[in-house]
Parts: sequence; structure tokens; C-alpha cells
Amino acid sequence: VKTPRIPRFAIIAAAAAAAVALAALPAFADGGAILIKNGTILTVTKGTIAKGDILVVGGVIKAIGEGIAAPPGVRVVDAAGRFVLPGIIDSHTHIALAGTNEGSEAITPEADVGSVVNADDVSILTALSGGVTMVHTMHGSANPIGGPNVVLKMKWGRPSEELVVKEALPTLKFALGENVKQSNRTVQPGQAQRYPATRMGANAIIRREFEKARNYMAQWDRYNQAAKAKNPPRTLVAPKKDLRLEVLAEMLRGERVARVHSYQATETLEFMELAKEFGFKIQCFEHIWEGYKIADEIAKAGIGISVFADSWAYKMEAAEGIAYDAGYCAKKGVLVSINSDSGERIRRLFNDAAKTMKYGGLGEDEALRLVTINPAIQLGVDKIVGSLEVGKQGDIAVFSEHPMSAYARCDMTIIEGDVYFDREAIVKEREAAEAAKKGGAARGQGGVS
Amino acid sequence: MRHSERTPASAILSLAVVAALALAPAAAPAPAASGDVGPTYAVRNCRIVPVAGPAIEKGVIVIRDGLIEALGPVEKIQVPGDAEVIEAEGLIAYPGLISAFTNLFLEMPARPAGQAPEFEGFPQAQAQTTPQEDRFPPGPGLLVLDQLKPRKATVEAFHKAGVTTVLSAPARGIFEGQSVVLNLNGEPLRPMVLRNGAALHINFTTERGGYPSSLMGTIAHIRQSFIDAAYYADRQAQYAKGPAGLKRTAYDPRLEALVPFVRDRRPVVFQCNNVEDVKRALKIAGEFKLNAMLAGATEAWRAAAVLKKSPVPLLVGLDFRPPATSLYATQGEDLRKKAEAEIYPGNAASLAKEGIGFALVSGATSDAASFLKAVRAAIKAGLPEDAALKALTVQPARYLGLDQALGTLEPGKIANVVLVKGGIFDEKAQVARVFVDGVLFPYAEVTK
Repeated sequence: VKTPRIPRFAIIAAAAAAAVALAALPAFADGGAILIKNGTILTVTKGTIAKGDILVVGGVIKAIGEGIAAPPGVRVVDAAGRFVLPGIIDSHTHIALAGTNEGSEAITPEADVGSVVNADDVSILTALSGGVTMVHTMHGSANPIGGPNVVLKMKWGRPSEELVVKEALPTLKFALGENVKQSNRTVQPGQAQRYPATRMGANAIIRREFEKARNYMAQWDRYNQAAKAKNPPRTLVAPKKDLRLEVLAEMLRGERVARVHSYQATETLEFMELAKEFGFKIQCFEHIWEGYKIADEIAKAGIGISVFADSWAYKMEAAEGIAYDAGYCAKKGVLVSINSDSGERIRRLFNDAAKTMKYGGLGEDEALRLVTINPAIQLGVDKIVGSLEVGKQGDIAVFSEHPMSAYARCDMTIIEGDVYFDREAIVKEREAAEAAKKGGAARGQGGVS
Repeated sequence: MRHSERTPASAILSLAVVAALALAPAAAPAPAASGDVGPTYAVRNCRIVPVAGPAIEKGVIVIRDGLIEALGPVEKIQVPGDAEVIEAEGLIAYPGLISAFTNLFLEMPARPAGQAPEFEGFPQAQAQTTPQEDRFPPGPGLLVLDQLKPRKATVEAFHKAGVTTVLSAPARGIFEGQSVVLNLNGEPLRPMVLRNGAALHINFTTERGGYPSSLMGTIAHIRQSFIDAAYYADRQAQYAKGPAGLKRTAYDPRLEALVPFVRDRRPVVFQCNNVEDVKRALKIAGEFKLNAMLAGATEAWRAAAVLKKSPVPLLVGLDFRPPATSLYATQGEDLRKKAEAEIYPGNAASLAKEGIGFALVSGATSDAASFLKAVRAAIKAGLPEDAALKALTVQPARYLGLDQALGTLEPGKIANVVLVKGGIFDEKAQVARVFVDGVLFPYAEVTK
């Protein structure tokens, strides 16, 4: 585990900023080791420890319990009176990317958001300030079939390649409903309106592309078979590699799963039929405001949902959304996560999760699962993150109150034992910068008069 | 850089010299030679910085027929009887500087009106949008040479900045076309050409209204294009071996133009506007085993670890404005300004410190004086002067595969020589005389 090099000035600049030190200092160099003492530990999967310690060494949780001694040189954080929880995970967002949609065509599985990661996006710092350590950052919803998505850790200040979580399940974005219908509705003179313009069209074009992918795979199978022969015919011609169909072939081979933007019950059920017909796996429905109408069907199919806590009815297809959607579906046995879909809401996912306690009647622990272990399961990373267990990666948030409290504030965010966000340190730096600015201004005034 | 040789260099050069002489500026002394032979000069009593070796405090350079015939200390070099002697005491002679990435003389034709593809029927099964370089033909096959209009004032401005050689690149689309290396030996274009089709230029850009309209789409499009070109080459090779029983591949000018770059390792230059572009270009270059160079690369220092692992020629631009995506550009004007003044000028210095090779280039600007000013800023930010000089002479010559002919002052090389009053990077440096292909351009009175 490498030392994070957090450009301290950038944090100050985000907070207040003017007279700033420009050297990129390793602000919180902990070398992947930290001991957090005396906090209330919400492990999520192994219950709550009223007052306990948690030790991370080499980026991995080495011990959770009471009276753990700090190995020599390891930073100790006193969390007395505070709450220690797994880093929050956002199952659906679009931050840290250079571009969201390849909206020029309806089918673009070749357009991989993993190829346009932007580690300089300040939203990463925003996410950290709300205890978020990992996000699933996705292709937009302009296309029936968008592109592959990518899972990132919020290692602010580290090079982009170190953010990518290679263990995560490969996913592909699909979208149904209004966004798909309305993309490129207004066209330039001489330009065609993009197909599809209806929900049935969206279903049809996805079917057509999977048919193409099946044919493509069959072509390769035939070729590979023939090429294996002792004396392959001289006239044997290989098929041409097609990046678009390669990704769909991965879907059909079960190497990649679908993340499907869908709002309404009908189109969702239709898509489940389509997936069954072609034999690909739906991992998760996104936003799904009418999930409560088909909770049994979704639960039975073993599909997750990733939704907002509230703020429905912002468009026609969201009109029948209800605040009880997440809580109700969770109680029906659906694997539910609360997502941000935003670089701003991302800092208060814990607030959004807590809303399911009022609407849906989830308990504290159940609600906390919606932004920790549940999204981890949806992303296929629950073996390494999502809860505080010995052997898992040291992705930890320290909160001032219980995270499901309306008064809660994230004080510290740690990834693999390295502190990436420290509210106290930032406030101190900001005050120092402001004092320096004031001093400078006073001198300046003197000069002018 | 290993280029496939097309035209014998000597043929081009002698042609260049002849034409350049015929059209040398009026201020230049009348060429003494006639026929195919250029004039002979002996530049005497100057300090010589050959770059190839240690400086010569008081030396002579003999230039004959466009080439350097001899150079050395005054006491060792005999001035030929037929040479016109250029008294150069108090001046310093450098190899002509090379800017290995510019858009010099480029005047792209305006886009024809109504080029958006027309569609019949409504709605289409799927709008078959056309890749943009096909909408602005001929894409990778475009030779920028056909779009250049040299201007005397620009040539002179570059001479006065010490620059005698440029690579001029196209500047539109994703597959922008192919560049040309020019020796700035006058005003007519053809005699200037050192190498046409020097490199294929690729830009990570997008354009609204067609595929690809996003950076990720552009990356996919670039990758698919190289896959298609390699496939096209394979099918043609298979067909050439024995056409019987094989359906021939339909002729495709776009793929045909790409084949030499994906098969014969001719150079491909990626425009890299930020640290991520550097990594994107390296990934694509690795995937298709391209002979890649990265241009711009003003955030290359931020990718130093990756560049050390996969060394690649860098054509480093000197635009110190933080790119729009940069964390230095998105957090307020104070930080942005500070970064422009204090961080980005240090790019080249950091690369030098890390032992990463690079050339310095003037890029899109045609303001040669501002280029030299930016070089001085890079030096002020910690780039050693000798590293800066190498990055403008021997390094770009090597990258362009022209190091046998350019980049240092050595016998046998092209006579691109700049005589400067003062060190070439001094603020008060004054370029007094310039030789390009042995053609003399006098710019300032030489006073002792």
C-alpha cells in the first residue's frame, strides 16, 4: 500500500482558499496502517461493539476488539464518543469521468467509461467528506445499451490507475424509458431522429443487438473449430473483431452483468423476460420508482435495486414513485442500495439511507446496510469491503454521531488504512490560510493608504 | 523512429537547395554558384556549440552546397579559396532549432456547407452516423502538405527564434492526417520538404452531431479503426498469397491509409492534452504495437511513473495553462493562475530530472518569439540549458528519424546553422544570421 500524496493546497482551495502552499505534500502519510480506538464500531455484518478498537496494517483490517495496542509507528486516532463504520459505497454515480454518454447512437457497448476516468474530479473529495470510499461510476442513460462501467476507490490525489477496483464485477449499463426515447429528439436539419422513440423500440433494439452478438459468437466458434483442424483450409477467413459485439458476447457468456436504468414496472418485467430469453444476468435495476409494484418478482429473480430515497415525480415516468420504495422492497427480500447519481448528493448518502427508517420502517442496522454491504454485494466486492471484518480492506469512516442520525457528520475517511479526509486537519488548514490572507490584506491596506 | 524510406534524401535535398537559392530573400547575397551547386561559405571566428560535442571557442564552419563540409578550431580548419568568408567574431553558432510539432502554415479549408449526412425515411432503424473524419475526408490519408501556405513573415519570425526546421501537423478531426517536416529555407513550399507523411496524427477529440460524440466513444473508435486496418492488411496479404477461392476485400481508402501505421511501425503522434490522455495514448499504442509519440503532454510530469515504464518520445508543448480537466483549473482563479505561473512551467524540468526523454515544441502558436519566451520560462523553472538545447536539436532530430542529417553541427549534415549574438536562450539574444540548407539569411548587422 502506497502513501497517499494528497495535494494539501487543493483541499484548502476547495474549502476556502487564496494564499496557499503549492507544494504537493503527503498530508496524511500513514502507510496503510492506523489504529482507531474507543469508538462505537458498527461492523454491519458482525454486530456492534459499544466501545472498541480497530487496527489496520498494510491496508487490511488486522484486528477488531478491545484494548488493541498500537504497533510501533502506527498512527492512533481516538474515536471516543464517535462511530466507526465501513466506508460508504455508492452503487450508482457518474463522477470522476470525462464524459457520461456516447449518445450519438443507441447501442454503444464499446464506449467504456473505464477509458475516461478523471482522477482530478473534485467530486472525489466531496464524496470523501461524506464517508464514501468506493463508487460504481457509470455510463449515462441516453442509450438502450450504453457502455461498461467502472468501480473506483476515492483515492483523492492518487493517479487514476490506482483508483480502479479490479476485483469488481464487470458491468454494462442498459437504459429503458424516457431518457432513451428522448435522446436526440431535437435534431439538426438533415439529421435523423434517433431510433428508438418508444419503449417497445428500446426493447426491440436490445433484442436485435443480442441476436447480432449471438451470430457473432457463432461465427467465431465456427472459425475456431475450423482453425483447430490439422490442415485448416487455405481459404479460411477469420471473422473481424468487433468491440461493440465483444462486450455483448461477454454478457452472453456470463462474464459481465447488466445494470439497467428503469423506472416503470412494465418495462422492467419485459426486460427480465428478455434477459431470460438470452440468458444474461441482470445484477441491478437503477432508480426503479415502481419497484414496489413488482418487489416479489424482482426478489424471486435475485436481482438487486439501486434507488433514491426520495425526490420522486421529477418527470412523468417517476410520477408513481413513493418514498417507501426502498424500505418496502428491502422488507420483501430485495437487495437494495441507496445511490446518489450525483457528485453532490454523494456526500449525504447516509442521510438518504436513514430516510428508509421513517419511510419503510427499517431499523438502524438495516438502513446502514443500504449504503455499505448491500452495494458491495451488488458490485461483487463484498469479500473485500462493505463491512468491518478482519481480513477485509481498511476502508473506514469515522462519524460524529450514529450515521443514521440527522446530526451525524463524517469526521474522517480512510481507505486501505490511509487517511484521505480529516475534517479537523482541513479546518485547521483553512483557518491558517484565512489568517495568512487577513495578515496579507492588512499589510496591503497599509501600503495603499 | 524508423521511417520507411521513400525518396532518397539526397535527391530531395539537392532539389531543395536549388529551389531555395533561386528564391532566396532579396537581402541575401547573390548566390555565387550556378547550376546545381550552392554557394560555399566559411563562417569564421565564432564560438561553436555543435551539441554533438564540446564547444569550440574560436572556430570555423565551412558550408558547401547546402551541407556542412567541415568545422573546427580556426587553427585547424583551412578556409577554402572559393568560400565567401562570413566574419562572425562575437557570435555563437548553434545547430538550427527543430520544432517537431507545429501547425505552421496550416490553412484548413472551411467545412463545406450541408455536409451532415442526409437520411431518407423516418425514423431510421438506427441513425447510421458517419465517423467524422469521413465527413471531412480524407481522414488518415490526408497529407497536410496540400493545405500549407507558407508566409515569409512567419519564416523570418521562426528564423529569428533560431528555428530552422518544423514538423507541421494537421489539426482537425480524430484521425487528423499526416504531417510533413519542413526545412525553412525560403518561401516556396516544395523545396522545404524534408519528409512528407512524417507521422499520422491522432487527437482525442469529439464533435457534436455524429459518432463518436464522447471521449469514450472516440477511444473505442480509434481502437476499432486500428483493428479494422490490421484485419484489412491481413485479408489483403492472404489474398495476395493466393486469390483462388477467396473473396477479395473491398477497397477502403481510409483503412489503406492506416495500414502502414499499424503494420510497418510508421510513427503515430497522439495529441495529449492532460495526464489521462498520456495514459490513454500509451494504452492504445501498446495494444496495437504502434510506434507512438505524444504531443502536447503539458502534464507529462504527472504521468512520470507510467512514462518511465513505457518510454515513448514526448513532443512537449510549452502552453502553461492548466488543462480544463485539471484539479488546478477547477478550484478557483487563484489556484489556476498560480499553477500557470509556478507549476506547469516545471513540466520539462521534472521530466529531465526523472530521466525521461523529450523534445520541446512550439505547438499551435505561430508566434515564434513567445515560444522562445516559454523555453526561457521552462529554464527558469529548473530545466538545465543544455537539456533545453538538446530538446530542440538532437532529440527531435532523433524522434523524426532525421538525426543523420540534422540536429547537430557535424560534417556531412545539412547546413542549418544559427549565429546568435549572446546565448540562444538569453533574454537579449539576437539572431544575426541563419543558414538553412546552406542558404544564408542575414538578419542583423554583425558588429564586433
